[in-house]
Amino acid sequence: MTTTFPVDLRERCAELFCADLAPMLRRLGARDKGAGAGAVLHPDDAATREGVWAALADLGAFGDQRQRDLVDLAELAGWALYQSPLTDSWFAAELLTATGDPAYAPILRDLAGGATALAVAMRERPGDEPTEPGPLHRHEDGTVDATRSVVAFAPDAGHLLLVGTDGGRTLLAVVPATGPGVTLRRHDDIARGDLYTVTVTHGEIVGAVHDITDQYPAALAGARIRHAAYLAGSARGAIEVAAQRLRERTAFGQPLARMQALAYRFAALAARTAAVLSSVRAGALAADEGADVRLTGAQVLLLAGVLAQEAAAECVHVHGAHGMTEAGDAQLFYRRAVVDAAWLGRTPSLRREAGRLLAHTRFPPR
Amino acid sequence: MTTGFRDDVRTLLEEDSVRSTVADIAAYPPGTEVALLDVYRRLGERGWLAPGWPVEYGGLGLGAVENAIVTEELTRAGIPDDVHVLCVDLVGMFLLHAGTAEQKARHLPALARGERLATVLFSEPEAGSDLAALRTTARRDGTGWRLRGSKIYNLKSQYGDFALCAARTTDSPVAMHGITLFLLPLRAPGVHIEPVPGMANDRFNLVVIDDVRLDDADVVGEPDNGWQLLNDMLQLERTGIDFHAKARRLLDQTIDRAAGQGLLDDPEWAGRLAELDATLRAGHALAWEQVHALAGGRPDPVTSAMAKWYTSEQIRPILTAGTELAGLGAALSAWDGTTGDDGTWEAALRMGPSHRLASGTSEVMLFLIATNGLGLL
Ligand SMILES: Cc1cc2nc3c(=O)[nH]c(=O)nc-3n(C[C@H](O)[C@H](O)[C@H](O)COP(=O)(O)OP(=O)(O)OC[C@H]3O[C@@H](n4cnc5c(N)ncnc54)[C@H](O)[C@@H]3O)c2cc1C
Repeated sequence: MTTTFPVDLRERCAELFCADLAPMLRRLGARDKGAGAGAVLHPDDAATREGVWAALADLGAFGDQRQRDLVDLAELAGWALYQSPLTDSWFAAELLTATGDPAYAPILRDLAGGATALAVAMRERPGDEPTEPGPLHRHEDGTVDATRSVVAFAPDAGHLLLVGTDGGRTLLAVVPATGPGVTLRRHDDIARGDLYTVTVTHGEIVGAVHDITDQYPAALAGARIRHAAYLAGSARGAIEVAAQRLRERTAFGQPLARMQALAYRFAALAARTAAVLSSVRAGALAADEGADVRLTGAQVLLLAGVLAQEAAAECVHVHGAHGMTEAGDAQLFYRRAVVDAAWLGRTPSLRREAGRLLAHTRFPPR
Repeated sequence: MTTGFRDDVRTLLEEDSVRSTVADIAAYPPGTEVALLDVYRRLGERGWLAPGWPVEYGGLGLGAVENAIVTEELTRAGIPDDVHVLCVDLVGMFLLHAGTAEQKARHLPALARGERLATVLFSEPEAGSDLAALRTTARRDGTGWRLRGSKIYNLKSQYGDFALCAARTTDSPVAMHGITLFLLPLRAPGVHIEPVPGMANDRFNLVVIDDVRLDDADVVGEPDNGWQLLNDMLQLERTGIDFHAKARRLLDQTIDRAAGQGLLDDPEWAGRLAELDATLRAGHALAWEQVHALAGGRPDPVTSAMAKWYTSEQIRPILTAGTELAGLGAALSAWDGTTGDDGTWEAALRMGPSHRLASGTSEVMLFLIATNGLGLL
C-alpha cells in the first residue's frame, strides 16, 4: 500500500528530529560506560525507542521511497545522532528486494509498517570490511553457520541478513534473530550502543540462500550514500553544538565566538558539510535514475567519514575540558563518530576502492 | 533544452578554428594576452555569450543554468574566461539588474555580441578585502561628477572600452554608506592605465583617474547606495561554477598524466586522485545547487560563499599533485618550447594563488559563513 503525503519526507520528519527533542534523541539507547555484555536498557528508554520507530513508520520512512528522500531523512537522523536500525534496515530492504524472493515479502511488509527492524550481518571480525563479507557455511539440511561481529541492533531486529562468501561468491541468507541456533552477545563499544556478536549454528533460514554477487556492490553503494548523509548530518549537528558553545562561553572579556581562528575553522567545516551533502543528493538522484553509483558511494562516504570525525573532534576541542564531560553533547558526537565513520568502510579502504574505480569511471557524468 | 544547449556550445568550441585559437593562446609571447577573441564574437552572434539575458540585449532569454553552461564549456575547451566573466557575469549583470533603460540599450548588446570589453575597477592600493575603505572620490560638479583616485589589480583595462568603477560620493562615519558605482570610459582624457608587473600571464593594471568628469547618466543604481548593490550583485556571481570548472580541467589533466605513467594502478596515487576527484564532485554538486537556486530566484549568500570557498580551495592540492607527477617538467614554460603540455601547467602554477584571492578571498568567504551562517564573530 502506498500512502500519499502532502509534504516531503524531510519536512515530515523534521518535527521529530527537532532541536527540542535532540538531547533526548541523542541519548536514546545509551548504556552505562563499561556495562559490558549484560548492559540493561532503562524501560523508559526502550519504550521511547519503540515510539520513535513507530513514528518514523507513520511518517513513511520505510515505504517505497526514493533515494533522494531517504538521504534527506538520513541527514536529519545523523544530526540527531539517532542510534537505531534505521539505515541498516534500508540496506537490508534493498538486499531483500534485489533477490526477488517472494518469501521475503512478509518481512518487507512488516518493515514498511514499522512492525520490525532488520540487521545486516557481514563482518566476521570487527576489523573486516563490508566489501569482504565473512564466510557463510551451508549445511545439506538447508541450515547455515556463520559468526558475525559488530552487528547493529541485533535484538531489535526481527531478522538478520547474513551476507557471506562461499566459493568466491557473495551470498545472502536470512535468519530470524530469535530463531534456533542464533545467539547474541553485546559488545562494549565506545559509542555505548547496540553492537553484537552473532553466532549462528545450524540456523534456519527464510526462503533460499541467494547468490547476490552481482547485486551486492550496488546495494552497498546505495547504503554508503545514505550513510554519508547520516555522517554529514552528524557533522552539521556537531558544528551547531560547537557554535552555540562559542557564543555562550566567555574568555578574555569576550565570547569565544569572536575569535576568528575558531570561527573560521567551523565556517570551513560548515562549507565542507554543505559540499558533501550536495554530493550526497546528486548521488542519490543518480541512483534513483539507475546509474552506477559505486564510485560515488565510496567517494561520498570517504569525504563524510573524515568530515564527521573532524567536526566531532573540533566540537569537543572548543568546549575545552567541558567537552569531555557527559553534561554536553560534544562527547556523544566524538564517540559515535568512531563507529559511524568506519561503519561501511574505513578511510584507507574507501580511498583504495575509489582509486580502483576511478580508472574506469571518469568525470563528467553530464 | 539544457543538454541541447550544452551540446551546441560544445560543438562550436570543438571546431578546428577554435582549437587552433586555443593553441595560439598557449603560445602567446610574454605581454600578449587574450582580449576580444573571435570565438566570443561567434558565440555572441548566436546569443550564447549571455544566454540568460533578454533577446533585446543580445541574449536568448534563458537563465542562470545556460549562463553556467557557457562558463563550464569555455573552461573545458581551454579558452580563458576572464573576459567573459568581466563583461557578462560582472559588468553586464550589474547593468542588467541595476542599469537604466538607456544604459542597458547602450552597453548590453555590444557586450553580449563580444564586441566590447568592460572591466571592473573596485580594488585600490589601500582597499581590497576592506573595499569600503576605498579612497577614490566623485565630487558633485553641477549636474555631473568629478572622479579622482587610483584603482589597481584590475584585469584587461588596457583593452577595455569602459569600466564599472566604485567611488566615494559622500563621506560618512559608516564606511559602507556613500559609495556610488559609475560607468567610466577607459579612453577618456584623464584616465591613465599602467601595467603592474606580476607573475601571471595576464597583467594587473593600475588605473589612475585624474579629474574625469561624468554625468548622472553614468551612475549605476542610486548614488550613495553602491555598497548594497555591490554585495547583492557579487553574491549573484558567486556560484563556484567557474572555479570548479578550472579545478576540474586541472584535475583531469593530472589524472591523464597519472594514467600515462601507469600510476592509476598504484593504490597510493589512485587513492589520492580519487579523493581529489571526490572533493571536486562535491564542489560540482554544490556549485550547481547555487545555479539552480539562482535560476529559481532564491540565491543564498551563505551557501554561495561556501561554494566559492570550497571550489577555489581545491585548486592548490590539485596543482601540488600534478606538479609532483610532472617533476621538473612542471617548471618548464610555454616559452621553453619543449614541454608536452604547451606549458599550460607552468602557467596554471603561476595563476595558482589567484583563485583563493579573486572574487572575494577565502578568508572573506569564511567570514560570511561564520557570521551570517553560524552566528559567530
Ligand atoms: C587574478 C585576480 C584578478 C583580479 N581582478 C580584479 C579586477 O578586475 N578588478 C578589481 O577591482 N580587483 C581585482 N582583483 C583584486 C581582488 O579583488 C583583491 O585581490 C581582493 O579583493 C583582496 O584584496 P587585496 O588583494 O588587497 O588583499 P588584502 O585585502 O590586503 O588581504 C590580504 C590577505 O589578508 C586576508 N584578510 C583580509 N581581511 C581579513 C580579515 N578580516 N580576516 C582574515 N583575513 C583577512 C585576505 O584574505 C588576504 O589573504 C583581482 C585579483 C586577482 C588575484
